[in-house]
Amino acid sequence: MAGYLISRLATTVLIIFGSMLVLFTLSAAVPGDPATTLLGPQATPEYAAQFIEKMGLNRPIPERLVIFFGNVLTGNLGEDVITGRRVTEMVMAAFPYTVSLTVAAIGLAVLIGVPLGIFAARNPGSKLDTLLAFTSVALIAIPSFVIAILLLVVFAIWLPWFPVLGSGDASSLVDQLYRMILPAAALAIGWVGMIARLIRSSLLEVLGSDYIRTSRAYGLPEAKIVYKYALKNAGIPTIAVVGMGIGRLLGGAVLVEIIFSRPGLGRLVLEAIATRNFPVLQGVVLVVVVLFTLTNLLVDLSYTALDPRIRRGLIRAGGAT
Amino acid sequence: MAYSINRRQFMTTAAAVAGTALLPSVPAAFAQEQTTRLQIRTRRDLEVLDPAFRSGAEDSGVCRSIYQNLIVYNPDQVIVDATKMEVQMDAAESLEMISDKEIRFKLKPGQMFSDGYGEMTAEDVKYSFERFSLAAAEGKESPYASDWAHLKAVEVDDRYSGRILLERPRASLEYVLTSTSGCIVCKKAVEERGISHNMRPVGSNAMMVTAFERQRQTTLKRNPDFKGQPSGFDEFVMRVVQDPKTVELALRSNELDFSDADPTLADSIANVADLTVDQMPGIADVWLGINVEHAPFDNIKVRQAVRAALDVDEMLTAGYDGKVTRANCMIMPQILGHWKDAPVHKRDIELAKSLLAEAGIADGFTCKLLVLNQPAFTNMALVAQAQLAEVGINIELDVRDGGSFWSAGKGDEGKKLQMFIMRFNGALDPNYLAFPFASDQVGIWNWQRWVSPEFDEAFAKAAEEMNPVKRAGHIVDFQKAMEDSAAFVWLTHETLIYVHRNNVRPSVGPAGTSLTYNRFEPK
Repeated sequence: MAGYLISRLATTVLIIFGSMLVLFTLSAAVPGDPATTLLGPQATPEYAAQFIEKMGLNRPIPERLVIFFGNVLTGNLGEDVITGRRVTEMVMAAFPYTVSLTVAAIGLAVLIGVPLGIFAARNPGSKLDTLLAFTSVALIAIPSFVIAILLLVVFAIWLPWFPVLGSGDASSLVDQLYRMILPAAALAIGWVGMIARLIRSSLLEVLGSDYIRTSRAYGLPEAKIVYKYALKNAGIPTIAVVGMGIGRLLGGAVLVEIIFSRPGLGRLVLEAIATRNFPVLQGVVLVVVVLFTLTNLLVDLSYTALDPRIRRGLIRAGGAT
Repeated sequence: MAYSINRRQFMTTAAAVAGTALLPSVPAAFAQEQTTRLQIRTRRDLEVLDPAFRSGAEDSGVCRSIYQNLIVYNPDQVIVDATKMEVQMDAAESLEMISDKEIRFKLKPGQMFSDGYGEMTAEDVKYSFERFSLAAAEGKESPYASDWAHLKAVEVDDRYSGRILLERPRASLEYVLTSTSGCIVCKKAVEERGISHNMRPVGSNAMMVTAFERQRQTTLKRNPDFKGQPSGFDEFVMRVVQDPKTVELALRSNELDFSDADPTLADSIANVADLTVDQMPGIADVWLGINVEHAPFDNIKVRQAVRAALDVDEMLTAGYDGKVTRANCMIMPQILGHWKDAPVHKRDIELAKSLLAEAGIADGFTCKLLVLNQPAFTNMALVAQAQLAEVGINIELDVRDGGSFWSAGKGDEGKKLQMFIMRFNGALDPNYLAFPFASDQVGIWNWQRWVSPEFDEAFAKAAEEMNPVKRAGHIVDFQKAMEDSAAFVWLTHETLIYVHRNNVRPSVGPAGTSLTYNRFEPK
């Protein structure tokens, strides 16, 4: 178990370092004069020269690489090219918006998807089961930004129940939650069907296993068997899929943020691209990579909490023996 | 403007009341609905509200509402033709041209800067203008230094009076004085606040910035110290909305009252009862440029062949869905010096083929066309590709993102360019529109790498000629030199579109290019 933990942590650190290296290489490989690319075509030659000196762009690439790694490891993601603000500060201001939206979307999807999946597993062949089988595939296939626009048209224009723009009054939790409903729903809808399908198939498999049969033979109540004994094991594949899907959700959140004009990392990235603000772009990408990698680590570790066989080293995380 | 309570507001209010026990600030937020508030879309966050270092049109619009100029354009005129603009005094009580190189001004007494920074003086005017080109502010040179290029000094005579001294006459001085580069900042505030002045600016105009929330909105409120004509609205909320579809939905749902718009949005929103769509000719230049140094384009007959092979109208249909008019020269009709008799080149395949034959490449050739990765430009490039293929010119499209596109013509890199589709956001001054084509811009903005003594001479004369008729003649002259070079295929000047509530009268400035929020009025 300890070996597994050490190996997962080491892999995580290596992935993060590898991502930093790729990020640096891509930034360095951008074609054209870096000052023009960063400052835009209006910069005077004198200002461009000043800027190159300040950003260290005239130094050899290996030296820049060392400085980049050193800065990142000390929490310094550089300065916004336009305003001179610290990128760390900008990313940290946007970060909670994206994370809260992603967490709300996952929460909503789990809250709806899991009961649906349980119902379908306990009533295979029912009308809801058939409906779920049909709609889940369709909903997964529709991109979240399309769902976002549809939700806006229906619930903000036809039925003017929800607002279109923004994340709400910063001092009002109620307003913020109210304005999070549509964007979170736009992200969650595709996942509801997927989670329900996963829970259904896993639960059906677990309900047919020996220990469940034994539990029934002992006369335990069916509800206790399903919710206490079967669901725990049936949930492991779902956690794996949701964990792996965090990246996809973050990607979807970027587009949803833009459509709902919400603050967040997505908006930050888009503005950074539009203004060729590479330090900001680097900072956001790095934070997303770290977030994604750490989430996957947490998901892996959660298996060990849920399945004692993994703790005892009888099977590997993810279910492979 | 949302004066009535709709269902959404009712629900917000109900939710807010329900949460009152937890969040005492909610009733206060609701109370803001009682003010006359206008919600305006900006495409991105405001970045630098310092006139000398503004980062774009979004910043400029707010700068014009929070700072005063010596003079401004008369807001009551509905202007499409920028050659017929009238000016009026703003911070100046009087402005007098002593000579072509000396302008005397006297400020109105009692014009107070916000946040207790005191009265505007001639020292503030000197500081505001000289920091563009004479003194690097905070060690940085202004990217708008060329606006004040002929400035020699601003001499202060007394507390309210001074003189603007120029090295050479400057025909476009009126444009500079009325533009964002003519805004007057508070010397003391800029020096004291440093970089924080960018987002906590101190001005003396009708509005002042009261809140800035990155990625969300900026709030402007009436400046209580302003003695002139008050703003038509108590409050402006500048909301950052990037996605065009979201703009449409927000306009439909009363969450935006004013926005600029893409042509596609104008169509879909034209029939919404509460909204008005204003369209006017644009002042951007969009053209297909040819590098005259690069073979085979160093032969003028090849350039003429390209021009003869292209059908500009078809390209515009593909690029802008027919929503823009065709350009035939650089200066647009509403700007001084428009060449109304400029030739209109119709597609002539036979002529194109014969010109290629005369150039010794009757079998055609292959070359690259560089374009920005935006639908309008890529669509036009695809049509050009098909049209040029008919005369044997095979085009490879080189589609790039903004970062690499805008550096493609710079320095020696620019020597590799062959053809490109370019957009240059215009201004009211013809010399500003023309400067990218001067010889000293080769390797900077002059991606055609075209050097013309005739152009340079006419350009220099136009910059200093104070007689508008004579100046217009010089401007036409330099456009003729461009025409003769066949290095430019003019495409369009685009179209400006604004959408607003019916009960709002926006102030978009001359030729629709200078949004001035403090002059927006309720109807």
